[in-house]
Amino acid sequence: MRDVTLGQYFHASSLLHRLDPRIKILSAILLIVGLFSATSLWCYAFLTALVLLLAAISGIPLRMILKSVRPLCFVLVFTSLIAAFMTKGDGDPFFSFLLFSRLRIEMYPEGLIRAALLSLRILLLVIATGLFLTYTTTPTSLTDALERLLHPLTYLKIPVYDFAMMMTIALRFVPTLMEETDRIMCAQKARGADFSSGSLFRRIRALVPIIIPLFVSSFRRAVELATAMECRCYRGGAGRTRLRTMRCRPADWLFLAVAAVCLAAVFVGNAYLPEPSFMRGVL
Amino acid sequence: MSNVLELCGVSYEYSPKTPFATAALRGVDLAFREGGITGVIGHTGSGKSTLVQMLNGLLRPTEGRVLLRGRDIWEKPKEITGVRFRVGLVMQYPEHQLFDATVSADIGFGPRNMGLSPEEIEARVREAAAFVGIGEELFEKSPFDLSGGQRRRVAIAGVIAMRPEVLILDEPSAGLDPRGRREILTGLWEYGKKSGTTVILVSHSMEDMAHYCDDVVVMNNGSVYMTGSVSEVFSRAEELEAIGLDVPEVAKIAARLRRRGIPLSGDLYTVESVKEALLRALRGEAES
Repeated sequence: MRDVTLGQYFHASSLLHRLDPRIKILSAILLIVGLFSATSLWCYAFLTALVLLLAAISGIPLRMILKSVRPLCFVLVFTSLIAAFMTKGDGDPFFSFLLFSRLRIEMYPEGLIRAALLSLRILLLVIATGLFLTYTTTPTSLTDALERLLHPLTYLKIPVYDFAMMMTIALRFVPTLMEETDRIMCAQKARGADFSSGSLFRRIRALVPIIIPLFVSSFRRAVELATAMECRCYRGGAGRTRLRTMRCRPADWLFLAVAAVCLAAVFVGNAYLPEPSFMRGVL
Repeated sequence: MSNVLELCGVSYEYSPKTPFATAALRGVDLAFREGGITGVIGHTGSGKSTLVQMLNGLLRPTEGRVLLRGRDIWEKPKEITGVRFRVGLVMQYPEHQLFDATVSADIGFGPRNMGLSPEEIEARVREAAAFVGIGEELFEKSPFDLSGGQRRRVAIAGVIAMRPEVLILDEPSAGLDPRGRREILTGLWEYGKKSGTTVILVSHSMEDMAHYCDDVVVMNNGSVYMTGSVSEVFSRAEELEAIGLDVPEVAKIAARLRRRGIPLSGDLYTVESVKEALLRALRGEAES
């Protein structure tokens, strides 16, 4: 339970850490758009290089990045298989056979390339967002930045501030809840509870002694937190000033500009760079 | 006297092989003797809680062995639940573990997991509730309707109901008022004496140790700093102060009185013993 890395801030003082979180969110969006609009092999190569560069300057140990990718294995295998078998090519299939004498299973070289590129796209997506958002940005500054970016929505009477506060609180309590779960599990194990054997139904029932205390303590915590906030005169967002105001420095704008140029480069590359012959009809 | 539980060179590391790896225990050798009440004391982060979670197999040592009556508890990892029935652990703030609809059902959770007959479970629930002073009129209530102190006692009863050979309690009196503290600790002391169960008590109150324990283990920085009977440990006040622990206030007063030349005899670390010694000294002066 303690070793959850997905969504874990890694403290360091790299360029990425010091960047304004709003700029990081925007850059991450630009990169995602770039990833999804890339249709040329050159663009993929360019984006891969970009993500590797980001990883290098972030100062995050490679092992941590790989660890966050591990839960994706299943998704990767699944999408790869589907892509590999569902893509029809022009040439001859690698192999083909009839399943249940109805369904023809075929695999074309195009399918394999497509599977590889799809997997690459998912991997880059997860690593890039992780580098921009979770590893180098604390959850609090992330929600702060989101709130700032979504601020215009308040003119449409959307309570952005309250959503941001709810998100901050939720994020804040994830580790606490994990710890609490851990502790309650230990307490019930000490009374002989068994969570890892028996039928599915038995295992689900075995969770009751964990879930109920967890609910009870969550409600207790919520009440305590609400009281504590009221004691400090919390009345929602109106007129509140901030301890830490975010200010974009020239370097931040420069970073955003570079990100925008990279996105533009992807579009240009899609349109004008010549494609190797084997890529025809793949994407 | 024979040892119920023994630790041989036990080390434990949290999140091993990650940047967050921290050693919680370093090569601990320790033995708990049959029958007595042993106190485990130390600062926050000294490894007390990790130590007690070793004893019933909630944590598996990264190095070393834990012996229950001479047998390694990890000999057959699949049978670790059996060890947990024999070594009962009450965790910190145990009232947060309550979940069942009624008090009696919650106390009976452990015995039910042991696979006992309904009659046997019933008998054990009554017995355990009586030990901690939970009246039968509360049996059909929801545990969430009880007061904090009552909930804590119900949770302790839930472990006692398994009739463990060793009962370990991690800070059983934390967060209670002085009266609640006294009731719980006295109850546990009586339980230990009556049932002959070996009791291990984790605390950071020196006064509690002085009052209720026979032996004391002092933990510091993941290792055993000192171990011995209460009077042995408290007689080494300087060493305790060196790691920032304190001897009980009355022991300090007694020491200063002695330095002033008032002849106090005996082991002085509880209010009663100091009172007796003072009275003896005063009577002695009156006679001479």
